[in-house]
Amino acid sequence: MASAPEGLTLETSRDRQKWWQSPWIRRVLLIVPAAIALAGLLNQFGQRPETLVASAAPAKLTVVAPTRGRSGLIYAARFRIDATQDLKDARLVMDGGWADGYTVNGEAPQPLGEGSANGQLTFDLGHVPAGEQHTFWLSLQINPTTIGTHRQNVSLYDGKTLLAVVHHSIRIFP
Amino acid sequence: MDVVIRAAAAYAFIIFILRITGRRELSSLGPSDLVLLVVMGDLVQNGITQSDDSVTGIFLAVSTLALLTMATAYVTFKSRRAQLVIEGAPLILVQDGKPIEQNLRTERLKVDDVQEEARGQGIESLDEIKWCVLETSGSMSFIKKSG
Repeated sequence: MASAPEGLTLETSRDRQKWWQSPWIRRVLLIVPAAIALAGLLNQFGQRPETLVASAAPAKLTVVAPTRGRSGLIYAARFRIDATQDLKDARLVMDGGWADGYTVNGEAPQPLGEGSANGQLTFDLGHVPAGEQHTFWLSLQINPTTIGTHRQNVSLYDGKTLLAVVHHSIRIFP
Repeated sequence: MDVVIRAAAAYAFIIFILRITGRRELSSLGPSDLVLLVVMGDLVQNGITQSDDSVTGIFLAVSTLALLTMATAYVTFKSRRAQLVIEGAPLILVQDGKPIEQNLRTERLKVDDVQEEARGQGIESLDEIKWCVLETSGSMSFIKKSG
């Protein structure tokens, strides 16, 4: 029976008899990259947008934005107002989470006015006649160092009257 | 701080991936192996530095990777067990001219691959080989039969 080359043992290098040399260990560990890829396909790391709706008698507010994302990603959030009654002074009020840890690349159409109220962002959209819809887009980039969960609720006001609130948040992965 | 953490995470993940994908990818340069090794480098760079184009960012990332490489080398030098976990053990592929099918299968190698390597080292036939060992670096060592 030949002995293995110096420094090797037949038990380890030929017969692979140690428990950690079992092919099953590698097979089990291969589950990790497979699970990561599968989780990605299932949108666990973003950034597929979701549609959230809040309805009230005078108007319906729809927010289309991802609820999961990764740092550095670019996306656009869409805010749609369907007015069933005349809105004289439609105003969107967004949580600071829409800007905190983000770069706001653009807004379309340009709102009539912008402001800040108690750490929230306000966008004045003006008059939305009954039966019409108004869509507002916000182009965003998550900053490369941003991680964690951000609350991003969106409220629709007519003047000072609160009409509807969409509860939205995003979980940002590194 | 982020660059250091990202570089460390990327280093650990790459070591893990290379360890479980096998040694074949370390030495052979078939099309799929090229995809893993070459494209991975580019993808990882994006994840480590992201939009940081600064010289400081380069220093941070390179220093972190260098330090981790040194630390890995030190740990594998000091501990045999750590070496086996991180690098694995050399694997005998051929003994006395006979391929060991189970070990070839483990590394997804064919007898043709061994023959190709052997030809590269001036060995005409597997019959001339006493031992063929797949080293932890992915290279094959051949020990010829004496006489």
